[in-house]
Amino acid sequence: MEYLGLLNYAIFMAIFIGIYALLALGLNIQWGFAGLFNAGIAGFFAVGAYTSAVLTTEYADGRIGGFEMPFFVGWIGAMLAAALVAWPIGKICLRFRSDYLAIASIGIAEIIRLVVKSEAVLTNGARGISGIPRPATEFPTLAQETAYLASQAAYLAIVVVVLVAAYVLVERQFNAPWGRMMRAIRDNEGAAKAMGKDVEFRRLQAFIFGSALMGLGGALFAHFNRSITPEAIDPMVATFLVWIMLILGGSGNNRGAILGAAVVWIIWSMSEIATDRLPTEYAIQAKYIRLFLIGLMLQLVLRFRPEGLLPEPLRGDRRAKRSGADHT
Amino acid sequence: MKTKILALAAGLMTATALASVPAKADVKIGLLGGISGPIAAMAPAMIDAAQLAFQQVNEQGGIGDGEQLVGVVGDSACNPQNGTDAATKAVNIEGVIGVVGPHCSGAVLAAAGSVTIPAGITMITPSGTSPEITTLDDKGTVFRTVPSDDYQGRALARTLKDQGYEKVAVAYLNNDYGTGLANAFKAEFVDELGGEVTQFAAHEEGKASYRSNLAELAKGDADTLVIFDYGDGTGLTILRQALENGFFDKFVGGDGMKSEAVINELGVENLGTFVASSPVGEQSASLDIFNEDFKNIGGDPDAIFATTSYDAAFLLALAVEKAGGKKEDVAAAMAEVSNGEGEPIRPGEWKKAKELIAAGKAIDYKGAAGDQNFDANGDVPGTYALWEVGTNGFEVLTEMK
Repeated sequence: MEYLGLLNYAIFMAIFIGIYALLALGLNIQWGFAGLFNAGIAGFFAVGAYTSAVLTTEYADGRIGGFEMPFFVGWIGAMLAAALVAWPIGKICLRFRSDYLAIASIGIAEIIRLVVKSEAVLTNGARGISGIPRPATEFPTLAQETAYLASQAAYLAIVVVVLVAAYVLVERQFNAPWGRMMRAIRDNEGAAKAMGKDVEFRRLQAFIFGSALMGLGGALFAHFNRSITPEAIDPMVATFLVWIMLILGGSGNNRGAILGAAVVWIIWSMSEIATDRLPTEYAIQAKYIRLFLIGLMLQLVLRFRPEGLLPEPLRGDRRAKRSGADHT
Repeated sequence: MKTKILALAAGLMTATALASVPAKADVKIGLLGGISGPIAAMAPAMIDAAQLAFQQVNEQGGIGDGEQLVGVVGDSACNPQNGTDAATKAVNIEGVIGVVGPHCSGAVLAAAGSVTIPAGITMITPSGTSPEITTLDDKGTVFRTVPSDDYQGRALARTLKDQGYEKVAVAYLNNDYGTGLANAFKAEFVDELGGEVTQFAAHEEGKASYRSNLAELAKGDADTLVIFDYGDGTGLTILRQALENGFFDKFVGGDGMKSEAVINELGVENLGTFVASSPVGEQSASLDIFNEDFKNIGGDPDAIFATTSYDAAFLLALAVEKAGGKKEDVAAAMAEVSNGEGEPIRPGEWKKAKELIAAGKAIDYKGAAGDQNFDANGDVPGTYALWEVGTNGFEVLTEMK
């Protein structure tokens, strides 16, 4: 029983890490490849989550949908919707450089949050959408405890498949000429332009790809919880935590993004278990310290290891290195 | 580096596994609350009130054969991400038999959907007021001790209609509280009762002036403004500016507007046409007992949701006792310990309840916040009254049905 609980908790944590890893991968395309400071992750996360929710839930009065489509249609729809929302935003905002873009994107995430809260016709407003179907949850032949374990394990398997697919595709992209071009644009825009690269268009591409992955992460999150409410679009847990994951893991490195998601979420989640061993009054106070710890961790990483745990592979792509070929 | 991190994670996990083996056979209950996040100021009193219930249980014989009830506090931070994380830790690491909380509706929906319903753990929230919780496919495991916003909105609509209000404008704060109340009110007032809502508008909180909102609301010749907001915040500003500019003759508020701040700021003489709906559990003997007990441990009984938190914790303890400590029977037992039939049990009367349960007699918990009789959805109807402003503050005008 004790070990079953631990296993359940580990699976739960792995699902969350998988979802956050998708967000971090999306951010890696934008920041790691293209140098776009997107501080509006929560917005694209929300677009994906709500799109999938509307597409897959049962018909409901007072809002559009639901259309009762299978979950994978919802997830593809989530990516498309996030990409569609990212397109005009990128068109307008990507002319800003670094910190200006960050400010603009925070504003965009806030606009999306307010739209989600106010437009009840689209999103059921502040009440949120519940009753979102979660794939592979019904195991009527099993006992309650095993069914619980099985449904969690099944969802983890789906998340892992999605994450691996996303990782392979993004990694391919990174090692392809496209990836080299993006890094060239990031590191020396003038030189890239002189080589005839369409800088604005390529930036927009990276922004849209990254946002689509964030939308997918949002959809996976909504289906896992069977509900999505505006409270989930909290910049602390949906934007800044993802940034910390990427910076800590190593921006520009896809494995780093995934590792960062794992490390930060494990520390975030497990620190509470550790502090709960303290006497009650300290245990409650210690919960506030968790926020501080995450900030401190970011400071320390930036000070002592700004390249992250797994730095960006600078000298050419991995495939070239492995085969011993010269990368020039 | 990666292996080091993995080793560290594995080490942490093992340490946790070792540490989480309970020292003695305690019965654990999860207390999930918004300790950090937007309701951080409200959460401590709610947690304390729930802990008071456990303390009373332990002092009066404990659970089953004298086992101690232990509240395991988790931080749901008022968002689904942390809410589900706290719930899974409570259920899987701590092995709780039931959960009191989380405090915010979004965290309740997510934690129920991904943790407690699949795991078959009973959940009872003291402050999740979203109507979405009613329709949750929860296999009877999700309860609450606070009425749904839907209920109050509909009851207020019926009462206003009885009182002769016909044409109203509605202004509501754009959050789940304001929106929930306003939509329920409108649905009942217009669709069921045939009243007229001339304007129906949300507003954001914290602005200095709402005159343009009010001018917009006044179009359509309604003489009454219904405000779903907080009387110590934006609602006060709106009420003041509406009075100053004479936009409306009569004013109606929800429970958030029944605040002493309204009387203190605007004066009794200006509030002759102001009425507000609010729960009445206030005169009950149960509440007096709770107030006394909570003051004795240094709590403030007027703290918002303190009574519902206490009721939730005490009800869960009763259900655990009735279920004989079997977690799969707790949900069914919960519906039985407070369904309006049986020997009444008031706050703190654990010993009496324990004896009655042992004797196989039916009990009915009469809570500090109301009678807490669950319906088929695990919801409780509120007991509401419409209040007017008299010389001594708020006075009951009529009961609401």
